[in-house]
Amino acid sequence: MATVQRALSLVALALGVAFAAAADETCQSPYLPKLVGQEDFVYVWTLGVDGLGDGSDKLVTVGVNPARGDYGKIVDSLSVGGRNEAHHAGFTDDRRYLWAGGLDTSVIFVFDVGSDPAQPKLVRTIEDFPEKTGWIGPHTFYPIPGRMLITGLSNASDKSGHTGYAEYNNDGTLVRTVRMPPGAEYGYDLRINAHLNRMLSSSFTGHTNYMRKLPELLGDAEAMKKFGNSMVVWDFHARRPLQTLSVPGAPLEIRWALGPEHEYAFTSAALTSKLWGVFRKSDGTFEAVEVGTIGDPAKTPLPVDISLSRDDKTLFVDTFFDGSVRVFDVSNPRSAKQIYEHKIGSQVNMVSQSWDGKRLYFTSSLLANWDGTGHPDEQFLKAFTWDGAKLTPTFAIDFTAEKLGRPHHMHFGQLGFWGAPARAGEVAER
Amino acid sequence: MKHRSRARTRRALGPCACAALLAFGWTPVRADAHDRVTHAPPAEAPPRFEAPAAGSYELPAIDRVGQHQLLGTRGVAEPLIALKDGELALISFVYLQCGEACPLSTAMLRRLDGELAKDPALARRVELVTVSFDPQRDTPTQMRALREKLEPKGRWRFLTAANEAALRPVLADFGQDAVWIPGEDNAPDSLRHVLKVFVVDANGAVRQIYSTGFLDTRLVLADLRTLLPSAR
Repeated sequence: MATVQRALSLVALALGVAFAAAADETCQSPYLPKLVGQEDFVYVWTLGVDGLGDGSDKLVTVGVNPARGDYGKIVDSLSVGGRNEAHHAGFTDDRRYLWAGGLDTSVIFVFDVGSDPAQPKLVRTIEDFPEKTGWIGPHTFYPIPGRMLITGLSNASDKSGHTGYAEYNNDGTLVRTVRMPPGAEYGYDLRINAHLNRMLSSSFTGHTNYMRKLPELLGDAEAMKKFGNSMVVWDFHARRPLQTLSVPGAPLEIRWALGPEHEYAFTSAALTSKLWGVFRKSDGTFEAVEVGTIGDPAKTPLPVDISLSRDDKTLFVDTFFDGSVRVFDVSNPRSAKQIYEHKIGSQVNMVSQSWDGKRLYFTSSLLANWDGTGHPDEQFLKAFTWDGAKLTPTFAIDFTAEKLGRPHHMHFGQLGFWGAPARAGEVAER
Repeated sequence: MKHRSRARTRRALGPCACAALLAFGWTPVRADAHDRVTHAPPAEAPPRFEAPAAGSYELPAIDRVGQHQLLGTRGVAEPLIALKDGELALISFVYLQCGEACPLSTAMLRRLDGELAKDPALARRVELVTVSFDPQRDTPTQMRALREKLEPKGRWRFLTAANEAALRPVLADFGQDAVWIPGEDNAPDSLRHVLKVFVVDANGAVRQIYSTGFLDTRLVLADLRTLLPSAR
């Protein structure tokens, strides 16, 4: 562990690398209906592990409503047959379908979560993402009206980090592709502020890096130079890049503030362990400002997923290598102050919070070849309550003991979200 | 392949666990907000960005919809898309007892109607179409009354369906959600749906879909002029 962290520290401080990613209820697309009450389920997009269960990637549905008998239990496990480096997922704009991607095979799986939220069904696979778009490694799935934006982490030609994003309609037909601009060719996340007609994108690295064993990658100085150090401001309506901002250290997840008058967003830089704010200036352009430090950068805790509360005051930041979450007061968005720290496990990647900020869920997996590097390879979903001052554990599921795999991205589901399902006693046509 | 299931209009008789919904364009309550639109349309929020210039960007076809027969304000069947080549329709789904999102889209169409009146070359090639989600209550007579209140300056048709069975394939084709939510007496009361306004050309190609965040008259006009370069 110490050796790995020292190695990371050296390269991280000099370069810019990035890792995981995410989404939760307060950080979804502005075009998505939000689930603001008690969620009944957490859908966990899970990497398969060779020799564990069926070894395949799967969508795991976990009961999370304390009022139900399935609280803290696995409600459903839907295997897709094969390993794809399951990573991120996102709802369509009607919240009826969950699109989920594999960073290695670039296959996209579409699950119907609207017909019966307790039992998702695999209804479509998109297997020609590389051929149609030129990109590979579908990462962020971000709904806009009638469509899905999908970032690629890499490209099909040289598998470097030079990439772009694609726009599909909800039926799975490609509408267009957009290349990242010159000088900011790396891609990762993208997020829209509809009030400002602005989209932000961040940057990571290509397939040649993210699929390598981490210790091997860290020993390759040339490879370690090939990470993103920029964010791009776009005119979203025109899909036109307007500005490239320097954000060293691989800026990953982007979280726009939700307040309509709050014209800023946050991101974390993985290798430099810094929090950044991207602020709209009075002339309408944007500036990137370092607003805080995450742990001890010399120890490279490796910040991964972040989650912003709906009042824009509290930011949760997971750090992979020490398995901890740090909570920052970002009431003053230009000066983030750490107010709490809690060790979740041996490693932690994703964090998702409920709309009211009272419930938080954490998962452990980052990438198959990076998990367990220098520390025990615990694989879990852990649930907590947050009272504004501390986390209190409520339940945990050991994904290895349950023979499920490596849990990654989480999304919330609710019975009756689109009217009561049949079991609750529907349905009379008028 | 369409997501046919997503457009089913249902009546849920169980408890409305989803009072907990929130979104741009979410319509959880009923009111007489359409009357407010007809009397004093809400002003558009001051712009916080400069709209891109018409023709400086592309609007590729997003999807394709078919032709559907609905009822006009005189109760006579009319095609949903009634365009010549080189014309566009803005199609909005509303219901008259809708409290929030529908009046918002109707107000935007009313503002757009006013703006189009200032540009006859563009106005001749654009039709606004308001379609009811609620054929039982929003009869042709009700839709005619709405039209009379709004006093369109240009091409603006108001359509409804003979019944929900006739409406269902239209919603499915557009990928427009709609779910009836029961009221206190457990009878269908409000319609939950994500607000969408569609720009469709004469061939049925969907060229733009607006939700609340995009309901900016400047953006709509820029899109229309982008798609109709000869009208710029």
